[in-house]
Amino acid sequence: MRRVGIIVPMGMLLLVAAGRAHHADAQSWEGRGWEQLSPEEQHRAWQNYQRYRQLPDRKRQQLEQRYQQFQSLPPQERQRLRQNYEAYRGLDAGKRREFGQKYERWKSKR
Amino acid sequence: MRCVRAQRWMTTALDDELTGRRRRALDRHLARCEACHRELALTDRVLTALAAVPTEVPLPAGLEQATLRAVRAANAPRAETVGWGGWLEWLGHPVPALAALSAVLAIAGAAWWRTGGPPVSSSVPPVASRSTDAPSTARSAPPTLVAVATERRLVPEPSEPPPDLAAAPDLFVDLPILLNIEKLRNFDAILTTTVDGGTRAPEESGPPSG
Repeated sequence: MRRVGIIVPMGMLLLVAAGRAHHADAQSWEGRGWEQLSPEEQHRAWQNYQRYRQLPDRKRQQLEQRYQQFQSLPPQERQRLRQNYEAYRGLDAGKRREFGQKYERWKSKR
Repeated sequence: MRCVRAQRWMTTALDDELTGRRRRALDRHLARCEACHRELALTDRVLTALAAVPTEVPLPAGLEQATLRAVRAANAPRAETVGWGGWLEWLGHPVPALAALSAVLAIAGAAWWRTGGPPVSSSVPPVASRSTDAPSTARSAPPTLVAVATERRLVPEPSEPPPDLAAAPDLFVDLPILLNIEKLRNFDAILTTTVDGGTRAPEESGPPSG
């Protein structure tokens, strides 16, 4: 009887832990499937994948962590980052150079 | 910190891989060393420009196959004709060719004279046997053009994505964002920072409010 008293709570704990792990796993990689990407996005993903494969393991792990963080952001925040990226891409060479300098200055002041 | 060490740490810092203490030491150095500050900005520009260079160039469909076919075609006749072709090349060098022919005729003539008939075994192997040896020589010849071309070929876009790409395609679509996430999160704050030692401090250091 005493043994049952230990086994039951432990089993419940394991079930809860397994459920959380499953949830976390599903959450970490939630996103679109390959078929849901537009041809342009598929092309971009393939190009970036080539680049990713050339990165060292540590950098890849870092990117995967960032991706998980990125996925967990509210949609409007993700949208804001995408807009910022598009804005950055729209900068000409001079503006990008200036942005780089500002970034360094900003970073040094943190 | 000395400039040499600061410059050694710069690319690591730009990759966001410098540890906190080193990062702070580097920042302190950059704050008072204008030369290193410029160097860092330049390095960042170079790395950004390099990152923007496409590593793959889309090729017209069939170019790879056509190239490989052309290389094989260029290689194949050479391998087949090495036996005769190799000998025929001597025609382009008449003096050594005539000297060699004279030597062969002299040996054959001497043998004929001694035995009173055609030589049974000559020190010079018959041309036919060389011809059959030639392909094996050609086969053992190391790296062919085809092998080099195959090694260096560009990676074409596959019809089916590799498993890790298919598992999380958004990761790769958004890769540039992930690589520059700090800049993008603080985009507005960075834009409002002044370069000349600026009075306007960054408005935030954590995640922006939106």
